[in-house]
Amino acid sequence: MTPYAFLADVLSEKYDVDPDAISPEATLTELGLDSLTIVELLFDVEDEFGIEVPEERASLETLAEAVALVEELLKAKGD
Amino acid sequence: MGGRRVFVTGLGFVSPHGEDPAAVFERICLGESAIRMVRSGTPEMGTDVLLASIDFEPGDRINKVDRLFMARAAQMAVVATRNALEDSGLMAEGHGPEEAGVFMGCGLGGAEVLQRSYSIYFERRTRRGRPTTVPMIMASGPASQVCMQFGIYGPAHTYSIACASSSVAIGEGFRSIRDGYADVVIAGGAEAMLNDGSVAAWQAVGVIAKEHADGAGASCRPFELERTGLVLGEGAATLILESEQRAAARGADLLAEVVGFGASSDAHKLTEPSVDGQERAMRNALEDAGLPIDVVGYINAHATGTPAGDPVEIEAIKRAFGAAAQAVAVSSTKSMHGHLVGASGALECGITALALHRRRIPPTANLTLPDPACDLDCVAGVGRDAPDLEVALSNSFAFGGSNATLVLRRA
Repeated sequence: MTPYAFLADVLSEKYDVDPDAISPEATLTELGLDSLTIVELLFDVEDEFGIEVPEERASLETLAEAVALVEELLKAKGD
Repeated sequence: MGGRRVFVTGLGFVSPHGEDPAAVFERICLGESAIRMVRSGTPEMGTDVLLASIDFEPGDRINKVDRLFMARAAQMAVVATRNALEDSGLMAEGHGPEEAGVFMGCGLGGAEVLQRSYSIYFERRTRRGRPTTVPMIMASGPASQVCMQFGIYGPAHTYSIACASSSVAIGEGFRSIRDGYADVVIAGGAEAMLNDGSVAAWQAVGVIAKEHADGAGASCRPFELERTGLVLGEGAATLILESEQRAAARGADLLAEVVGFGASSDAHKLTEPSVDGQERAMRNALEDAGLPIDVVGYINAHATGTPAGDPVEIEAIKRAFGAAAQAVAVSSTKSMHGHLVGASGALECGITALALHRRRIPPTANLTLPDPACDLDCVAGVGRDAPDLEVALSNSFAFGGSNATLVLRRA
């Protein structure tokens, strides 16, 4: 599953976000997540892709930024 | 003691026998056990354990995102409270009475969340735990979540006093109305610590029952000669308490009246109960109620089914009641729903309220060969009609020597 597809899936399934509101440009705050749920979401991502998001990179605004970060970390990991 | 009268106007369960209090009471009066043999733990570390566990599913009664921040105990507390508010007629458009106080008992809080966070630390060897861990572990989670879910703005207090937690919560909630600090209180308890780490710790105490030859359901045998121990359960129970005036003004149905609360400490041993401490709790409660001993028709005993504990409570009843002890019916419903620890007082207080309302005394299951040291009327087998039943006690005696007794009267 691509990082975007995974994020879209988790957002709608676990965080009850309206699938129609999910787009690369949407900010996580707009989608209804708060600081605690954003970190929780990053843990879901870490578990799924076997990566670790450095703490200084954990402040994300849009879904596209989250996808870019995951892709970067996956590349660094060599996957 | 004087003050305003306090009535139970709603009752909600998430119990090993189900959620509908009437149906739960019916099954208990038939002597039906909810205890079963359950595989607990991981494939390599697990074992078969007798438990009164619940196939709990909140469904759409708690929204998905809110559930991310709720341990199992908090979810059970929210559902039991929803049931109680609906039963009381105080739920309007998903909201409870905003001025209410919340008095909840809980022993361990989010035990399964704590276990998960430690397993991340020790097994995955990382300091990075989930950010939701702390707000889910805290024992006050159930009370806080009840406030948030139902728009309750009064004080939210949590009592963590091991097995006496929710009896004390109900007792203090009762006093806050009686003394004029509140008109309506959501009182109860929740406990969900059947995660295997907690179960293993309980097994180490050496108080867990062994499976009886007649099957899992026959294994918890309070007051019985062949009793081997207690069975852990889980769940939540909530009572809606209201001042007489508030209940009358809205024409509420009255399930029972709470008339007294007594507490005491053994100051003796952590896990060895004392006759003296338990006797004082019962005496204090009856004095608080201003009632003579001989009006009590039923005692819902703490009796967990351990060899050491049950005779101590019987002796304490004999000392507190004197000659009247021979006339009072005593039963342990833990024989069927197990020991819900921080939620046990609330579930048993609810069962006691139903007993008064229906004038029917629930039995002690599996009591085929009574222990001569437990020689009171322990209501073996099935429930018994009690047409004159007016007053009943509910006892909760905790590890640590904290004792609590509630006194209820028929409304």
